[in-house]
Amino acid sequence: MRIVVDEQPIEYAEGDSVAVAIVRADQHPQHGGALCLAGDCGNCCAEIDGVAFTRTCLTAARPGLRVNRHPAVGAPPLHPDPPVNPVASPNHVASTVQRERADVVVIGAGESGTAAASAARAEGRAVTVLAGELGHDVVGVYPGPLVIVRLADGDMLHVHAHDVVIATGAAELHPVCDGNMLRGIFTAGAAEKLSATGVDLGMVATVELEQLRSIEGSDGHVTGVVTADGTSTPCHSLIVTSRHTSPRDLLARMVSDPHVHAAGAAGAHFELPPCPTTGVVCACSKVTVDDLQMVWDKGFQHLELIKRASLCGTGTCQGGACMPHLRAFVTAKSGQAAAPFTGRPASRQLTIGEAAADMHLDPFRRTALHDEHIALGARMDRFGGWWRPWNYGDYLDEYWAVREGVSLGDVSTLGKMIVSGPDVVEALERIYPTTIHDIRPGRSRYVLLLNERGHLIDDGMVCRETSVDGTDRFVLTFTSGGASFAEAWIRDWIESWGLDVHVLDRTLALSAINVTGPLASELLRRVGLDEPPRFLQHVHADVAGVPCHVLRLSFTGEASFELHHPRIHSVELWQALMAAGSDLGVRPHGLQALFALRLEKGHVIVGMDTEMDSTPRRLNMDWAVKLDKPNFIGRTALLRTADLDDRRRLFGMTMDGPAPVEGAPIWVDGQIVGHVTSSFHSPGLGKTVMLGWQKHTPFADTVTIDDRPALVTHPPFYDAEGARARA
Amino acid sequence: MNEFVETLLELTWHEPKSSYDVVIIGGGGHGLATAYYLATRHGITNVAVIEADYIGSGNSGRNTTIIRANYGIPESIRFYNHSVDLYRNLEAETGCRIMHANKGLIWMAHTESGMRAERSRVQLNNACGVETVLVDPIEIKRLCPQVDLTGGGRYPVLGASFHVPGSTARHDRVVWAYAQGAMHRGVHVLQGTSVTGLLRDGDRVVGVKTSRGDISAGIVMSAVGGDVSTIAAHAGLRLPVRTHPLQAFVTNGYAQGLGPIVSSTDLLCYVSQTARGQMLIGHEFERESSYSRQSSFQFLQSCSLKMAYLLPFVRNLKILRQWTGRCDISADFSPIMGFTGVEGLVITTGWGTWGFKGIPAGGEQMAELIATGRTPDLIAPFALSRFAADHPMADQGSTGTR
Repeated sequence: MRIVVDEQPIEYAEGDSVAVAIVRADQHPQHGGALCLAGDCGNCCAEIDGVAFTRTCLTAARPGLRVNRHPAVGAPPLHPDPPVNPVASPNHVASTVQRERADVVVIGAGESGTAAASAARAEGRAVTVLAGELGHDVVGVYPGPLVIVRLADGDMLHVHAHDVVIATGAAELHPVCDGNMLRGIFTAGAAEKLSATGVDLGMVATVELEQLRSIEGSDGHVTGVVTADGTSTPCHSLIVTSRHTSPRDLLARMVSDPHVHAAGAAGAHFELPPCPTTGVVCACSKVTVDDLQMVWDKGFQHLELIKRASLCGTGTCQGGACMPHLRAFVTAKSGQAAAPFTGRPASRQLTIGEAAADMHLDPFRRTALHDEHIALGARMDRFGGWWRPWNYGDYLDEYWAVREGVSLGDVSTLGKMIVSGPDVVEALERIYPTTIHDIRPGRSRYVLLLNERGHLIDDGMVCRETSVDGTDRFVLTFTSGGASFAEAWIRDWIESWGLDVHVLDRTLALSAINVTGPLASELLRRVGLDEPPRFLQHVHADVAGVPCHVLRLSFTGEASFELHHPRIHSVELWQALMAAGSDLGVRPHGLQALFALRLEKGHVIVGMDTEMDSTPRRLNMDWAVKLDKPNFIGRTALLRTADLDDRRRLFGMTMDGPAPVEGAPIWVDGQIVGHVTSSFHSPGLGKTVMLGWQKHTPFADTVTIDDRPALVTHPPFYDAEGARARA
Repeated sequence: MNEFVETLLELTWHEPKSSYDVVIIGGGGHGLATAYYLATRHGITNVAVIEADYIGSGNSGRNTTIIRANYGIPESIRFYNHSVDLYRNLEAETGCRIMHANKGLIWMAHTESGMRAERSRVQLNNACGVETVLVDPIEIKRLCPQVDLTGGGRYPVLGASFHVPGSTARHDRVVWAYAQGAMHRGVHVLQGTSVTGLLRDGDRVVGVKTSRGDISAGIVMSAVGGDVSTIAAHAGLRLPVRTHPLQAFVTNGYAQGLGPIVSSTDLLCYVSQTARGQMLIGHEFERESSYSRQSSFQFLQSCSLKMAYLLPFVRNLKILRQWTGRCDISADFSPIMGFTGVEGLVITTGWGTWGFKGIPAGGEQMAELIATGRTPDLIAPFALSRFAADHPMADQGSTGTR
């Protein structure tokens, strides 16, 4: 059985880790450095099946496994396009996350871990033991506590625990002296493992770390060792023992949680080894004692500063091998005991693919008409959290269909809410800056939604229904992107006011189709709506046999009827309208046309034309605010700012020639005073119409955009009297 | 020796005096840069910078080291562009190798509204003299061949704005460059010294109470990050600032291969490759406000997934470590610099997730304000008084947050 190291097959024995197999061939997984074979250092990391920085001591050898050693100088290469679902290796993307709950998680199955597990079980608590020998690679302990584990088969395990006991024991020390990056150096534990698997280390010398002066070598391999008394001993392999050990406390140092406990050696006080004088301290980042001395002499006299200045401890093993030596250095130099630096997750490296395992982002929502749009050739775009048609080919065709004929728009994404109850009028008067109580049943009104700061957060319609049993009932609409926020907003306010109002969010239950254009009424008559409502009225009626709430309004500037209907009937209603209007030239319109149409009317789109702090005054929408109402959200802020000098205003603008890019700066006297938020060269009007901000006073009547003059005006640009919307 | 320990300059430490002309609270980038510019531009060296932990231990040592000026309002574009210029010359000026690297920054858009925002950014940047160009998917692929233009089949890349001056520099080196430059000219930097209160003479702030005794000052500046509300409260000052955790992570170091800084306006995550070869990956700040510096696995999970969508090659890279900083987010997502209305106390705060890029310009301008007693034009729009006057500098879309 053979693995392949740097394209050379190497024999291995049953049960070998990759590191053991490499040592068995008298090679080194890197280019030198002591091996602990316990997962504590980074000296055995190599690229395995395309994943660099994989600990070969923790990877089982299997036939054909490919190992590429990291380059001796420089970093391992980036592979541009790894395979998506590699069969050969578990190391690429973990596909599965197992989840467990436990009263107590014990990390480590040594003496302390076993004792802790027994004690917890004796108290009747459910215990999960995680240990390397059981195939668990504990990556991190997070607040919760949540323990993240990589399993031997490549899956991930997330354990939610009430208590976590970290009983990871202590690590052997790596030698720090001249020659410590040679091949052929092993800790006592590594030597024991190698001996147990029958690896021949050749002529061996065993030296206590505290007695070690230097290691001699040639061609990168150990040839002998010099001890403190000056004795030189030839050897092929050097085994380093130590009176000192180092707590494996990285997991314990990474989380501050009263339910995370360190037990046994992992949490015990340790005596630091002697201060190192020569050699490489941090093999991962190639930091020598001389480097530490240099940064110390330059004034970096703080453990964290030394770490950052030398990079000691910031490599693959996160200080696993170098921390005791680094602390010994700082303690000796400063005369004060140096505590270890903060532990950072992840303690064991996992790939980005493994971290992302089983993670999902929120789905993008589709309307009931999604497939209809696709069949009609729509280019879909995400807007306000939904997939929506951007256009169906040529948005100007759609524009003209609305202006001269009839067109359908899928507005299912609009927020739709029924509110009712004894206190509903009071609640809406407080929520909206507009007067609500005088809306008559069957009528509707355009409203702004403000936050406490008086900034516009949404807009929509308030439709009053005919009262049933004397109980008031309203239908509210919101923008597509604002609907879910609005629901929480309104529920929370009503709750906090203690008002008796019933809120029913119908956004996902109801679809809506906007029938718009001068022939809209005609189309609706053909499908059974004999008396379409008048402007700003709304009725309940069957349309093409589908029960609809029909809202007459206008965003496009033409007569428009929003048909709100149960989602399950959407496709049949859409198809009936398309069929009934085929000789009227009915066609659907997408967002691109809608944005152009509404711009001709000067209607703002929240989030496109407005900014996060747009007050009604800044939007020229003071008409939609009744400051003389006793109380509404945002009133206090609007009163405070009403008398303040305001330097910002959204204006309409017109100019000849093509439309400037949305976002184009607006200039006055060579200064930028604002920018265009929406622009459209209107084929119907024969000029370019725009909305845009001026943020310097006095506001100018003429401005320069794209080196061309533009006239500042007040919208609407189209049908200023609204005759077409009311027709 | 690794290549990152070679050219460090020398830090000189002093025992505290009982009085200074200027006391700066906070030994991060902004505090130390202000001290540096006070010394180099205005000859004011009787200055102490007081740091509770070690210099650069806060957000200056926890950020994702990106330098850019591709903002959405002229006031911010001008300010950050000045900072970009100062950064470009910082190595020459200080003699300290800050590892400044001009890489260019790709801000990818995945929707029509995202494209609309990037078109707008390009327009306004260029009008203010900042080179940001609109690029199509073919050009994105040329700039960064590793980008998956389908966005994992979920976030198709429609285009991007490419901010030509986008750069990175090693964050610690920036802190140390300013520290040593200030120290060399006589500024005292006091590490491990906590400010526990402010000395008052009537309404006026006349010094600081510290864990090592009282220190009087002609003027006190707070350049504190994370705990700024606490410092301000000592002066009876309430700031329009919330503090949120911000997380980031790095992979191990690999051979250089990712050219530009890559960012997604939709996924709100970004990556650059450091001089050490690590992929340095960040995200928007956490929704819940908190002073916690605990890292979460949820962040690592979702940020990893988003990165794998955009740049599939990262899936095989080994994560080295993750960490958390604390961001002071002002009410309009822009910094707050200048006078506070409290005599003797000036402030630089509200640095949110954009503090690193503002260090040189913020320090230089605050030094001028302290030295002259007047607010320089470049930072006048960012005065604290803008909130009471309702003249906010709202530009959330440029902050990489939502």
